[in-house]
Amino acid sequence: MQIKYDTESFFDEMFDENGRPRPHYKNFVDRFSELTESEFNRKREAVNLSFLQQGITFTVYGNQESTERIFPFDMIPRIIADSEWKQMARGLEQRIQALNLFLKDVYHEQKIVKDGVVPAEILNSSKHFRKEIVGLDVPRDIYVHICGTDLIRDNKGEYLVLEDNGRCPSGVSYMIENRQAMKRAFPRFFPKAGVRSVLDYPEKLLSALQYIAPQGKANPTVAVLTPGVYNSAYFEHCFLARQMGVEIVEGRDLVVESDDCVYMRTTEGLKQVDVLYRRIDDDFIDPEVFRKDSLLGVPGLVRAYKKGNIGLANALGTGVADDKVMYCFVPDMIKYYLGEDAILNNVQTWLPYRKADLDYVLANADKLVIKAANEAGGYGMLIGPHATKAEVEEFKAKVKAAPREFIAQTPISLSRHPTYCDEGFGGRHIDLRPYIICGEKTQIIPGGLTRVALKKGSLVVNSSQGGGSKDTWVLYSDE
Amino acid sequence: MLCRVADSLFWMARYIERAENTVRLVDVTLQTLLESEHAPEEDPYKSWIPILSSLGDQALFESLYEDKSSTNITEFLTFNTENPSSVLQCISAARENARMIRDQISSEMWEVINRTYLWIKKQDPAKVCDEADYAFFQHIKEFSQLFQGLVDTTFPHQIGFEFVKIGANLERADKTCRILDAKRYMLQDSPAKDDALDNAQWAAILRGCSAHEAYRRVYVADIEGDTVRDFLLRSRDFPRSVLYCLTRTQLALHAISKCPITHFSNEAERRLGQLIARLNYANPNDLNGKEASKLIESIETDLGEIAVEISKRYMFSEIVDPAEDLEQAQA
Repeated sequence: MQIKYDTESFFDEMFDENGRPRPHYKNFVDRFSELTESEFNRKREAVNLSFLQQGITFTVYGNQESTERIFPFDMIPRIIADSEWKQMARGLEQRIQALNLFLKDVYHEQKIVKDGVVPAEILNSSKHFRKEIVGLDVPRDIYVHICGTDLIRDNKGEYLVLEDNGRCPSGVSYMIENRQAMKRAFPRFFPKAGVRSVLDYPEKLLSALQYIAPQGKANPTVAVLTPGVYNSAYFEHCFLARQMGVEIVEGRDLVVESDDCVYMRTTEGLKQVDVLYRRIDDDFIDPEVFRKDSLLGVPGLVRAYKKGNIGLANALGTGVADDKVMYCFVPDMIKYYLGEDAILNNVQTWLPYRKADLDYVLANADKLVIKAANEAGGYGMLIGPHATKAEVEEFKAKVKAAPREFIAQTPISLSRHPTYCDEGFGGRHIDLRPYIICGEKTQIIPGGLTRVALKKGSLVVNSSQGGGSKDTWVLYSDE
Repeated sequence: MLCRVADSLFWMARYIERAENTVRLVDVTLQTLLESEHAPEEDPYKSWIPILSSLGDQALFESLYEDKSSTNITEFLTFNTENPSSVLQCISAARENARMIRDQISSEMWEVINRTYLWIKKQDPAKVCDEADYAFFQHIKEFSQLFQGLVDTTFPHQIGFEFVKIGANLERADKTCRILDAKRYMLQDSPAKDDALDNAQWAAILRGCSAHEAYRRVYVADIEGDTVRDFLLRSRDFPRSVLYCLTRTQLALHAISKCPITHFSNEAERRLGQLIARLNYANPNDLNGKEASKLIESIETDLGEIAVEISKRYMFSEIVDPAEDLEQAQA
């Protein structure tokens, strides 16, 4: 099969401006051309059926009938050359280091605020800044153990950071399942493609989790804490627990006893838990401290945490670094803590919090993307150039009323990638979420989740908004 | 093992067993109706009442349907979403439990449940019920058998395995009792003693338990009420007899507690041991006619209470069976 289409004015991952495959795609394009259309379609159907039968699904909220859907999977992989990857990985490592130093700082001395690099009002008004844990020491000074940083490429091919997900980043199970699906579909191709493996993610995750056991306990009991079967990422929670060989627990399985230790209820009685990979947000994790109405969490968990009897990944309070306003300061943090320039740039961002930026944003709202500082999943945003006049006005009013709660960015023409659609091959916008694990050392998993906006022309890649995904190949070499 | 996991394993197995039993009953009843000598004007609903009553579903059915046709009854027992014991609801509930613990069960177990769920969602209820679709019933029965096979061959024979066995065997014992009970409702229907009809009814009951052939191998003579009752209650080697299921449950309970079978370490084990002894040492008179009805009724009560005790001991929660719940609400 030949992949041919007009790349128009976009940066295309596979083809250069003359329509020739880039060197690191050449091998794939050659082999793909040996495939007939019917073979390709057969493989595609087999893969989709296997996702469905295995129940590799996510849940769509507020939709009574089919609440579970498979994450649409596109068989054309995104390929990243070695040198490009190395540069990106260095940038990510630098970023996560700075974020961990920042989190330790804001929950202790707050030097960065005292030195005026991050304004005190920004920190104090951050929705996810947890005053409850100020002064608390976390094991090994690591706050973000698992990070999923979203990257995009602009029309010059430069990688830019869109946001850091340092609370409960999801999607890593799809990264692994996508790889498995591709290996099953193209068994003979894979050994020759020179693709780095992502399959040891669960082992790396487990050792990072064991690393934060209280008092360096040997053979700690680790568990994955899930909000339950109705959570959209429940498949992933189960997947990771099974791959790591640990229990998956819900709040109702856990109890904090008078000794301030955390136990799980088992058929043989109570059993102590040392580390929780928690996939519940701070707000819901302990009704004694945070939201009183939460039934998902574990009463007393924060008590146990403060006594140092339980390791939590990610630590409590990491959401302050997820705040999109705080994101604007990450390059400054890198400079402040590491004395280096950021390797990966942010997208150009305006902070309506600053008077001058507010004026600019209000005057140019129809040309900007405006995002709520604390929303995720593609919710709470305005894409100015695609919005109606009324929508723009409505958003301007919101920004004016609460400038701290918004950021604004230049719309980025996301890079595109050939994707198999109804009309055959077409260019679709993509992003990339690589996964970073911080344990004894920092490890960037060579690959990640490439999300693709399946709707023609759409820039929104979120699964909840009709996005799909691709396998992401990081090569050992540049071709 | 987490208590919640034990609970889900128990219910997953129980719901699958329940779906299978419901399908058996519907299938047998439909087939019996096909060959029955009922005059065309006679109401086929009469033949269904014993089944619905024994399942405790008669009132719910009558409240949901005006037309009491076989098609509607079949629909009620297979696809109705307001009947918590319908096959569709059982498969959905089994899948929901399996989904909660899919990290704990083998992927083969999960996939066969998930596949069956996707399959049943795609079926056309009208077609299945109008045509008394044999292939549909067969599919559900084979799913249940396949699932049990996968439990045996892909699931470690450890504590979780025992909870699956407990769920399946308690449900099976309960259903065998209820099918036997159905005969009581049939008797009420026949004014004069009619030996031919009586025998046909007992034969249907045996078939409802897939026990017809096994029974024939033991009792070559006519199909008689007392022997059928004795066989379904007390056979030591027929896997759907009440005693067999109870003995299997006992083995599983003691494997979990590691308490020798001659002793007991909790209330569930005590109650179960007592019930097994009662069945084992029952006076032949206790198994005849009216006495047998009392015995069967008390076994059903005991089974419910044993399930509660198991739940208290291992799952630290009250057991609530949605089907029982509904029955009580209507009673």
